[in-house]
Amino acid sequence: MTTTSTAIDAVRTVLPPDRARAPETYAIDGVTPAAAFRPETRDEVARLLASCDAATLAVTPLGARTATALGRPLTAYDVAIDTTALARIIEYEPADLTITVEAGMTLATLQQTLGANSQFLPADLPPSDAATVGGLLATARPGAWRNHLPNQRDLILGLTVASPEGTLVHSGGKVVKNVSGYDLHRMHTGALGALGIIVEATFKLAPRPPAIRSWAIQCNTLTQAADLAFRLWNQSLPLRALSLLTSEASRVASLTPAPHVLLECGGYEAVLVRCEEIVRRETVLARAIGGEAIGNQPWDALRLAAGDLTKTVLRLGIPSSRVAETIEAAAAAGCTAWGHLAAGSVLAHGLHIEEPAIESLRALAQSHGGFLQIESAPAPLRRTIDPFGAAERDLVASLKHQFDPRGTLNRGRWQEHA
Amino acid sequence: MTDLQAALGEHNVLWAPEDLAGYEYDATIERHRPDAVVFPSTTDQVSAAVILANAHGVPIVPRGSGTGLAGGAVPIKGGVVIALTKMNRIIEINPRDRVAVLQPGVINLALQDACAAHGLLYAPDPSSQRICTIGGNIATNSGGPHTLAHGSTVNHVLGLEVVLPDGRITWLGGRQPDAPGIDLRGIFVGSEGTLGIVTQVCVRLMRNPEAVHTMLAIFETVDAASEAVSGIIRGGVIPVALEMLDNEIIKAVEPRLHVGYPLDAGAVLLIEVEGLRESVEADAERVVIACREMGAREVRTAESEAERARLWEGRKGGIGAIGALSPNFYILDGVVPRTQLPAVMSEVLRLSAEAGFRCANIFHAGDGNLHPNIMFDELVPGATQRVLDLGGAIMRLCVDAGGSITGEHGVGLEKRSYMEWIFSEHDLDAQHRVRAAWGTGDLFNPCKILPNSHGCGQAHEAEIRHHLATPGVYV
Repeated sequence: MTTTSTAIDAVRTVLPPDRARAPETYAIDGVTPAAAFRPETRDEVARLLASCDAATLAVTPLGARTATALGRPLTAYDVAIDTTALARIIEYEPADLTITVEAGMTLATLQQTLGANSQFLPADLPPSDAATVGGLLATARPGAWRNHLPNQRDLILGLTVASPEGTLVHSGGKVVKNVSGYDLHRMHTGALGALGIIVEATFKLAPRPPAIRSWAIQCNTLTQAADLAFRLWNQSLPLRALSLLTSEASRVASLTPAPHVLLECGGYEAVLVRCEEIVRRETVLARAIGGEAIGNQPWDALRLAAGDLTKTVLRLGIPSSRVAETIEAAAAAGCTAWGHLAAGSVLAHGLHIEEPAIESLRALAQSHGGFLQIESAPAPLRRTIDPFGAAERDLVASLKHQFDPRGTLNRGRWQEHA
Repeated sequence: MTDLQAALGEHNVLWAPEDLAGYEYDATIERHRPDAVVFPSTTDQVSAAVILANAHGVPIVPRGSGTGLAGGAVPIKGGVVIALTKMNRIIEINPRDRVAVLQPGVINLALQDACAAHGLLYAPDPSSQRICTIGGNIATNSGGPHTLAHGSTVNHVLGLEVVLPDGRITWLGGRQPDAPGIDLRGIFVGSEGTLGIVTQVCVRLMRNPEAVHTMLAIFETVDAASEAVSGIIRGGVIPVALEMLDNEIIKAVEPRLHVGYPLDAGAVLLIEVEGLRESVEADAERVVIACREMGAREVRTAESEAERARLWEGRKGGIGAIGALSPNFYILDGVVPRTQLPAVMSEVLRLSAEAGFRCANIFHAGDGNLHPNIMFDELVPGATQRVLDLGGAIMRLCVDAGGSITGEHGVGLEKRSYMEWIFSEHDLDAQHRVRAAWGTGDLFNPCKILPNSHGCGQAHEAEIRHHLATPGVYV
């Protein structure tokens, strides 16, 4: 402890004193770090990280802290680096449809800025737009828009990352098409900050559609809902989302507690009128109960539910044709479950999901070539069950060794440093 | 040789000098003879070949159809070329899940044809799609005209089975997007065959749209066409394709292919929008307005599928047509922010004229992805060097405008020295670490992408002294 205190005293001298924060507010899984800092520039992040690395202090970078239960529990946590002060726009040329921002900017602020020019970043990650840009890349969690609109993985054009050695490493660029060198920005996407701290990112943007409309269609059974969803997917609708909800998930989304198909389309008014016709026609053909136009509220509720840190949340990757049966299996295991058809993604959440239930859902997903990731769960559960499931481990370990040889960053989040 | 023959079968190993000649180059630049070429049919054979080459300390170079435009498949240090052309089976097309699983040697167009039967499409459509392989597309993260709306190869690859540089076989990604963990799939795509060899791939398929509108906008000058590109994007319409062909290209294409490009136009834009009928009509109207505002002489719309195919034939056959105009030409690939397009294009034309070369432009204007083609005659003393210098100057122009040295062709051997224009020492060090993490030693596709690779020398100009493009290459 004394060694840590001495080391932290040394680290404190690196930044102006007002960058220090009360460590208590940065507790993760009940563990409070010895110190917390909120650096104000990317150079400060790099200097701070390097000094922690030199002192072999374990560092966890944090944005809005909306995904702190993702990954294995930390095995050491000395210093929290809060990136939220890095919230500037570095470069925005609306006519290029690209933007470079600092990593601590929230998605909400970013969308607001872009909205003024009728543009947006098609990322609808859980739990809400409170997440930071750095967080949305580091966690790479998809939402309902996945596979209808390009995802943050597809929109990242360039990245600047602070390395444990204290350098700022850049990859990609600011143009929409670029194959120069290795795409380090893709490597950092989904890496949970274990290979460097994201400080700046450049995105490809999309024009916001002139109008957006959503429909909720009530069905008798989930099988019927799946049938309808496939019918709708096979039309040329300008879909932004197409989801299947159990009765319980419908209740969470403030809909009538019955199985539902939820869909969102975007386009010109004339296009949405046509969408409405198609939705009505297919609803009749599928013999579903009926639909109505809805606002954004059900979507927001599902995002919140997918990012609920007080619950155990599972995300399964599964072929589209297996989404309905996987939702049923999760519901049978006591979960509230819903899924996004095109992405082949099923979300399941519950106050407490037993280990055997998780293992059997994982086995089900894997039997169809899919996966199960624990998005959020109490720490003990994430110690006994690998949150990520079987995936290539050796390459991850050797990337970690190359980019963070002392294991400074997010120690223990990945298997290899457990 | 005996070991390779034992592992792959005698007829799947070439080593006689006369058999190797076809494998010393790709679609451009440097050539170097390999010591052997092998044609595996299975993942295990690929792995066996890699392990054997490692055991003998021999370089390994993976190869598809050899249509690369940056030298990525050139065995610059000799060794074993592993040609994946026999692994050309489409294993599964699953219309319900909208995925396809295939071997790396499948030709891009063969996949497109197989998908079309189900009303589906695989979006990346490089102009070389008639002969390039999916494995090669993955290596270079290929684009194509439809990249504008649908993204490059990396946005469509869900998972990959690969043989790593040590011969180990593994899967990166899966059958669904966003598999847990670090995105190894994302860093592998576009790594130009330096991190391993793809032996199987799972890709995402899309549904054919209800309606497609293909338009030809005719302009007096390249400048006006460039302004129209910026205007269309600024106006909030992202067409699925937005291609420019300048007068030099039109003059090469029209007499040969008779596709209907006016010979006196300064430039034409080939513009495609798709979606529901209502959406396509509204988008097309906005495109027409943006073109007229920038002085388009005429905007034609293809009235039939045949007419649409003809307009595209001119685009896809454009580069081949230049071959008839000039003994040699040098294809460049650079990217600039879209708002910089008018300024950069006029500078490209000025620099070419100043250097005394004709320059034909046929490119993905909507993405800001330029492809100037410098026409020259290698028999004129000093011409090759002056063309290379001009190419360098144009690349520099792209970088100075905030762009990149390559949009879709890759770095390969050709552009290693330009990497230092856009990346710092720290950036390049990080890229070296990727290779180290993947166990890419000095023997696995050596000397590609990174400058100052161990034992590879440096000087770009010296390496591409014989840099002679020939007809039959694509952009």
